[in-house]
Amino acid sequence: METNFTKPQRQSPIGIVVMFFDTLQQYARALFPLIAIWIFKFDEINKGWLALGTLVVFAGIAVIAWLRYRNFTFFLDHQNEEFVITEGIFNKTKTTIQLGKIQQVNVKQSLLQRIIGVHALEVDTAGSQDNEVSIKAIGHHLALELKSRLLENERILPNYSESDQNEFAVPDEQPFLSIGILSLLKVGITSNYLRSFGLLLAFFVTVYDYAIRLSNNGIFNEDELINYFDANFMMQFIGILLVILFLVIITINVVRIVVKYFNYQISKQSGSLLLSFGLFNTKSTIIKPEKVQVVSVTQNFFQKKLDILELKIKQASSGEKEERKQAIDIPGCNNLEHNEILKLLFGEIPEKGVMLKPNFRKLGFAVFLSIVLPLCVYYLVAFNVELRFLDFQYLALVYSVFAGLILYFSFRNNRLFINDRFIIKQSGAWDIENEIIEPKRIQAITTSQLFWHKSLNIGSVTLHTAGGNVAFQLGNFEKIKHYANLWLYEMETSDSNWM
Amino acid sequence: MENFTNDTIDTTQLPKFEEVVFSALHPNYWIVTLINLFVMVFVLATALGFLLFFNEDLLEYKYKIIVAAAIFCFVIFVFSRIAFVKKGFAFRNHDVLFRSGVIATNTIVIPYNRIQHVALHIGLVSGYFGLAKIEIFTAGGSSSDIQIPGIEKEQAENIKQLLMGKIQKQL
Repeated sequence: METNFTKPQRQSPIGIVVMFFDTLQQYARALFPLIAIWIFKFDEINKGWLALGTLVVFAGIAVIAWLRYRNFTFFLDHQNEEFVITEGIFNKTKTTIQLGKIQQVNVKQSLLQRIIGVHALEVDTAGSQDNEVSIKAIGHHLALELKSRLLENERILPNYSESDQNEFAVPDEQPFLSIGILSLLKVGITSNYLRSFGLLLAFFVTVYDYAIRLSNNGIFNEDELINYFDANFMMQFIGILLVILFLVIITINVVRIVVKYFNYQISKQSGSLLLSFGLFNTKSTIIKPEKVQVVSVTQNFFQKKLDILELKIKQASSGEKEERKQAIDIPGCNNLEHNEILKLLFGEIPEKGVMLKPNFRKLGFAVFLSIVLPLCVYYLVAFNVELRFLDFQYLALVYSVFAGLILYFSFRNNRLFINDRFIIKQSGAWDIENEIIEPKRIQAITTSQLFWHKSLNIGSVTLHTAGGNVAFQLGNFEKIKHYANLWLYEMETSDSNWM
Repeated sequence: MENFTNDTIDTTQLPKFEEVVFSALHPNYWIVTLINLFVMVFVLATALGFLLFFNEDLLEYKYKIIVAAAIFCFVIFVFSRIAFVKKGFAFRNHDVLFRSGVIATNTIVIPYNRIQHVALHIGLVSGYFGLAKIEIFTAGGSSSDIQIPGIEKEQAENIKQLLMGKIQKQL
């Protein structure tokens, strides 16, 4: 039996129940503070009014659920090959999806839906939303039929028909690259100081807090603890502490990286890259060059000396949301291996072309935002509220010098390189990152200019890709616009094989 | 084969997106914006009224509060007006352009072959004034989706048909 999907259809009538609970949940979440107050004041409230109020609210939600059910329709437009959904009570929305753009159709069932015997059908495209369309109540038979109809067109596109089934197949070749324990050690020593420092700081704060709480219980006294160290001893102590801290950071880093990336192997399989790594649980991932959106190469000064660098690869994926956001890390390959991987992904080693520099105002603005402004706040508070804060002026100085250095180097490293096939954005103060994208992977281009920058001819550009945005601020706007036009031309004349 | 040519492109002769003439939003959309603003200010004013009513200590500063509220309203009004005037859209042969911003001028360009799907919204107020909003989705994350408000319903429907037709051709 063929169901006629070409006429606008409603969901199963029983779906009103699903709508009811869905609406109830939404309102409960929005009105949570109010409900919480009611619960706390339960005894003071007139029970009769409460019962009546609750009844009215539930009746209102029931009406809303009914209206949502009435106004939700979907149909297939065969002539234009579209799936059209209309929804909304006061604010009406009509969503139109080209059948060929549909990537996934999921038929799901929640507990409630199981009880009343309906299914949910979710349609997913490469678009940014989690699910573009979700039909909340549809019979099982109907759901499967609609799903097959929606996916009829899919086979035309070669990319989609080749599904991810071979994801965990055994590689037919020897791994062409494996990252040894030595490289991992090098990575551990040279990366992620800040993150480890943050973790450690959090740990120490917790311990200190715990100690203070113990002291409040009379076990030992905070003042005693602080007076115990005299100033001279304190300096030595801080020095030793810093050394220990540094060693601990490095150890933690090394252990973390070795555990995460132990026995990292990359092998080729019919044009794709197969990765597997991990000490306790081995992870496997597949990289398909045609799906790679952004590749970023990161290296700091020490890593340059040790000839290691870190690769991050962002793919367009039709999978779950978390999977989509995550980049694939290849830590600690050397320059030669890095070239090999890039050749595999792009067919050639991306060269840096014409260089664009940011205007010095970028540095000025950054200094204003992260040094001048905080210092102003600090002195304002210190003079107006608590003069004792001025005792910490040396900290402000240390901060300013440190932040200033970071900002200066970020500014100096901030560059955009453009050649015929690649756009490379370089950034970072200590860890210098190079993000590589191909013009054909761009989804949209935003150019932006503040009105007082018009006469200075500087402005910004953001390249939106399925693997995130690449932005370059305050460059020569004339050049930026020129390249934007060129990229648009390339995007519009090539076929849409961006993934 | 004889028809095949592969001339060098002169990149300086490429069509320039910055020279495109943008269409302004429908004048009625300014009324819609004002009504929405009014509702928002009304709600805020009510909240402020309640606050003053229940917290009598604040009454001491009532003139300052009123002046601050007036300045706030004025700034919002001016910004909304600038935002309205600056918003504009254009449809070229191969892409759609949308311009917006208050302090900065942002121009986003989406080629038709990168559009994933299109949605048409008709709000309660804007529907009364015969206006609709077109939302265009791409695979580049929410920052590269555009919403073009203040288009007449009929025109919006036409634009949607045009976009869907353009997407289809690219397949």
